[in-house]
Amino acid sequence: MNAALTLRERSEAEASRLPPLLARAEHLAGTVLLGDHGRRRAGLGDDFWQYRPAQIGDSRRLIDHRRSARGDQQFVREREWQIAQSVMLWIDQGASMRFASEKTLATKADRARLLGLSTAILLVRGGERVGLTGTTLPPRRGNAQIVRLAQAWSEDSDADYSPPEHRAMIPHARAVFISDFLGPMDEVELALTKAADRGVRGVLLQVLDPSEESFPYRGRTIFESVGGTTRHETLKAGDLRDRYLDRLARRKDALTYLCRATGWQLGLHHTVESPQSALLWLYRALDGGTQ
Amino acid sequence: MTVLAGIGFTAPWVLLGLLTLPILWLILRAVPPAPIRRLFPAVTLLLGLKDDESVSDRTPWWLLLLRMLAAAAIIIGLAGPVLNPSRDQTGTGPLLLVLDASWAGASRWGNVLDQIDAQLTEAGRAGRPVSILRLSEPEAPVFQAAEAWRGRLPGLTPQAWQPTEAQVAQSVQALTQVEGGFDTHWFSDRLDYPGHDQMLAMLQARGDVTVYRAASAVTALLPASYQDGVIQLTAVRAAPGPAADITVLAQGRDPAGTMRVLQSVDMQFESGETLAQIELALPSELRARITRFEIQGQRSAGAITLTDDSLRRREVALIAGTLNREGLELLSPLHYLTQVLSPTADFVDGGLLDVLPANPDVIVLADVATLAETEEAALVEWVEQGGLLLRFAGPRMAASDLGRDEEDILLPVRLRSGGRSVGGAMSWGEAKGLAPFPDSSPFFGLRIPADVNVTTQVMAQPDPDLADRVIASLSDGTPLVTRKALGLGQVVLFHVTADAEWSSLPLSGLFVEMLDRLAVASAAKSRQQEQLQGTTWEPIQILDGFGTLSDAGSLPGVDGAQLIGGEIGPDLRPGLYESGKEKLALNVLSEDAVLTPVVWPADVPIRGQEVSTETPIGGLLLSLALVLLTIDVLASLALSGRLGMARTAAVVLGALLIAPDARAQAPEDTDFALNATHELVLAHVLTGNREVDDIALAGMRGLAQTLYFRTSVEPAEPIGVDLERDELAFFPLLYWPITPDQPQPSVEAYAKLNTYLRSGGMILFDTRDADIAEFGASSPNGRKLQQLAAPLNIPSLEPVPNDHVLTRAFYLLQDFPGRYAGSGVWVESAPLDAEQIEGMPFRNLNDNVTPVVIGGNDWAGAWAVDRNGQALLPVGRGYAGERQRELANRFGVNLVMHVLTGNYKSDQVHVPALLDRLGQ
Repeated sequence: MNAALTLRERSEAEASRLPPLLARAEHLAGTVLLGDHGRRRAGLGDDFWQYRPAQIGDSRRLIDHRRSARGDQQFVREREWQIAQSVMLWIDQGASMRFASEKTLATKADRARLLGLSTAILLVRGGERVGLTGTTLPPRRGNAQIVRLAQAWSEDSDADYSPPEHRAMIPHARAVFISDFLGPMDEVELALTKAADRGVRGVLLQVLDPSEESFPYRGRTIFESVGGTTRHETLKAGDLRDRYLDRLARRKDALTYLCRATGWQLGLHHTVESPQSALLWLYRALDGGTQ
Repeated sequence: MTVLAGIGFTAPWVLLGLLTLPILWLILRAVPPAPIRRLFPAVTLLLGLKDDESVSDRTPWWLLLLRMLAAAAIIIGLAGPVLNPSRDQTGTGPLLLVLDASWAGASRWGNVLDQIDAQLTEAGRAGRPVSILRLSEPEAPVFQAAEAWRGRLPGLTPQAWQPTEAQVAQSVQALTQVEGGFDTHWFSDRLDYPGHDQMLAMLQARGDVTVYRAASAVTALLPASYQDGVIQLTAVRAAPGPAADITVLAQGRDPAGTMRVLQSVDMQFESGETLAQIELALPSELRARITRFEIQGQRSAGAITLTDDSLRRREVALIAGTLNREGLELLSPLHYLTQVLSPTADFVDGGLLDVLPANPDVIVLADVATLAETEEAALVEWVEQGGLLLRFAGPRMAASDLGRDEEDILLPVRLRSGGRSVGGAMSWGEAKGLAPFPDSSPFFGLRIPADVNVTTQVMAQPDPDLADRVIASLSDGTPLVTRKALGLGQVVLFHVTADAEWSSLPLSGLFVEMLDRLAVASAAKSRQQEQLQGTTWEPIQILDGFGTLSDAGSLPGVDGAQLIGGEIGPDLRPGLYESGKEKLALNVLSEDAVLTPVVWPADVPIRGQEVSTETPIGGLLLSLALVLLTIDVLASLALSGRLGMARTAAVVLGALLIAPDARAQAPEDTDFALNATHELVLAHVLTGNREVDDIALAGMRGLAQTLYFRTSVEPAEPIGVDLERDELAFFPLLYWPITPDQPQPSVEAYAKLNTYLRSGGMILFDTRDADIAEFGASSPNGRKLQQLAAPLNIPSLEPVPNDHVLTRAFYLLQDFPGRYAGSGVWVESAPLDAEQIEGMPFRNLNDNVTPVVIGGNDWAGAWAVDRNGQALLPVGRGYAGERQRELANRFGVNLVMHVLTGNYKSDQVHVPALLDRLGQ
């Protein structure tokens, strides 16, 4: 009884945290207007496409009698081919994402979730099926899926750098990975090659804090990861700047190379920038693939 | 005190601490700055990077030097350094400080106090007991520790008089009681007074006497006099000296009532002269305003002379019943009055209604019987505000029915018809003389000449209060002059004419004196002692030694004779005195006063009053150390790369150091204005009830969110408005929840609210009780609403008609529920001529936004959401409740749309679309 009550209470509290993210994501998604995008060819779907004369091999049930009764010929009513694409999202829930160098900035995790959820809303409105990579939340359509996604992303992971989830990817689906990609590279490599093997293509969006790009530190400093597992002490932080920037550039190069090899697209977003431009880029990147 | 290089040290041994500085240098050099911990997710990219040098940043030499300086400043500061250490330590044993403490020293009283303070410090260091004796206010001397006296220094003030003979005697008496010898320091004001030598002899007998006196001679101002149209000003100085210029300021109230300098005049003491004089001609208007003359730059009672009524010419309006008889000037009823008053008073000419706005001091009506109603009303009002109405009888008054049956308001008594005449050719009796004035009469004390007689007069009806009103009567007891008070003023009736037709009174000197006593004529000439005999004068304001006027409080009255001849002292303080309606100024110096400088015997050492004060600089050094340490903190932070987070602290610290007094008032106001105007902001009135205010704020937030998602109105975070403090003009809509216990706004707040309503604002009153108990307007909240709204400028109201624009400003609504769906909603009523045109669904209504919407449905409760957008309060039950909340939200949207767009939706252009949607 008690456990159930507290669970209820906690879930209410958790649920009350969802709406702001949802509302912001809805608001952001509202800035990108969608049309229904049919496939512009006859196929399975709900909308009328054309009448064509019945041919041999057409089932009698397919004959549209209302149209056929106007003349002698028999017509078949064709519907537009509408097919739902499955899009799988993965957003880094690791501790390294929960970082913002200034109070006025959003954390990387917050920005990543906002972008992920907005993308999901756009996709659902477009009639696609959206889900998470892995087995927890397979792709489904409908608004309820948005709420499930938001709920899934409201849980933080304790690990410092969580590896991309690459299990249970549906062949020939599309995928969106949002992370800072500061963790071990071999995991990313593994995930992408596995995806490429299954014909899954998609988008990598790297979200970085401005301080990670500029490294504005000086003096004797101990750098700690957000989870506290890794640390590095230096006596003169200012001297490390050039070498750090060099390593960061190499990391980005490695990602670019990986994407080129697997046919994915790579985007970079800083938390100082407007989320809208990133969302537009994401949407274009996905849409460009589906055409 | 040890003196090193001109600087004294109270604790020189602390200086040994300076020896530790080199050790400190070595220690500080060895310690590197501590590391900072930083969260940094990209630390994985840093792993394995080695530092180029293995040595950390060492503390730079200049930072070390800064810290050394700070340490040195602290050590030296603690050693108690003193600049200008005074070294003239003389004498032991008790010390008596004698102060003249008269007005003559008031100008330099600050110097005197500084010097006393220095002497007390020195005596305290030497452990000498001290006593202070003020000769102008003597008390028995008590020898105490010097520190005990220092706290009482601010209470030592100079008096507005010289020490009187009695006071000096009292001081001498008190000093003889003191046992043992004592040294004396005498702070002299440079003026001699009776008993001075005796006092000096007495003090010299007990010990050494040293005199401290001011450098410059005393200057004072004698009372101003007014003669032949000019003001005579005289200044005196104590000792003849080189030529000197002084400036005398005439101060008084300007027409707006504020004190200001009305005139300033330069005077010059010729070389070797002690007197300086000047004549000052001023327009009478200006002259009447002057309340005091003072020597510029002097702050003493002697440099000030107060003026009283003597500079003022009274304004008199003379009005006669028959002014149109040409060529008969000697027979004019006003001739004698003009003669009497012209030297001392100014006349105001014109008809009665013309002169009243000029507000003369006196209006004389000579033989005027009937007044027009408006004239009478105006005259009564003027008298009640303090005017003196002086009426003379005459043939017209005697013939009229004025005051016959009942007392006229502008006559002191009822009159018998016809009057009487005595001593004429056709009458039996003798002409009557005057009876002696009773002591309750204002004329008491005036000598009655024998040749004054009265032949004709108007007679007073014997009424119960007649006796109280008679102030002069004839020898047979019939009233000659009667008087009654009316409001603040008075009405006086002479029962004879103002010319010599009925009596010889206007021909006599008594007439002048009587008018003088009635304050018709002013006392332009100085008053004589016998003139004031028998009068009592009450002090209103008194001068202190610095020349400041203060309220006299409960000081006793003073006999008039003493006021002229008496010696200024504690019993007769200079200031302003009042008796009846007359005012008299008593100044420190009389008109023939002479200032005599004191001559000291050759064996008395004399010193100036200039002090070279010791300056302890320990505090300065310690502050310097603090500043250095602050710089050190900032520099250390900058070196270790932590200045970013310290920047805020530095700015705050800098602000504290530079402008500790800066008030943040103006930026606050600007912030409020910016917050309220950078976006559209909804506002609610703060009621003082925390719960209601929170719900109101949450309600406004909910409404703002609804508007944000549904319409192109995108309001910012709402604001609670304090009616007393905040500007209202920024808000299109004020939500005002009513609580029974909220305070009534002030008059200024109501003025603001009315301006707000007039300039297009709207207030939504919400009694929040939905009239559930069906009390109507007499529920507690309803009554409060009536109280609150009573001073507001609210037009006539009506329940929202079906075709009001509120029903279709955005949504189509039929009713306006909030948390409750009960009571009606009231808005400004439609104009009477609004008519429905055939075929139109609504009337062409008024073009204005209704300034108020009044209801009780607790709308804020229905709108209220928390920060996450969840509704705060339940509405109804289940789905029906949510529907009601939705309708409440729609009402809010409609309301805001109505405020912002006015009657846009009332335009006939929308008729087809609306008809379509209404399904008609």
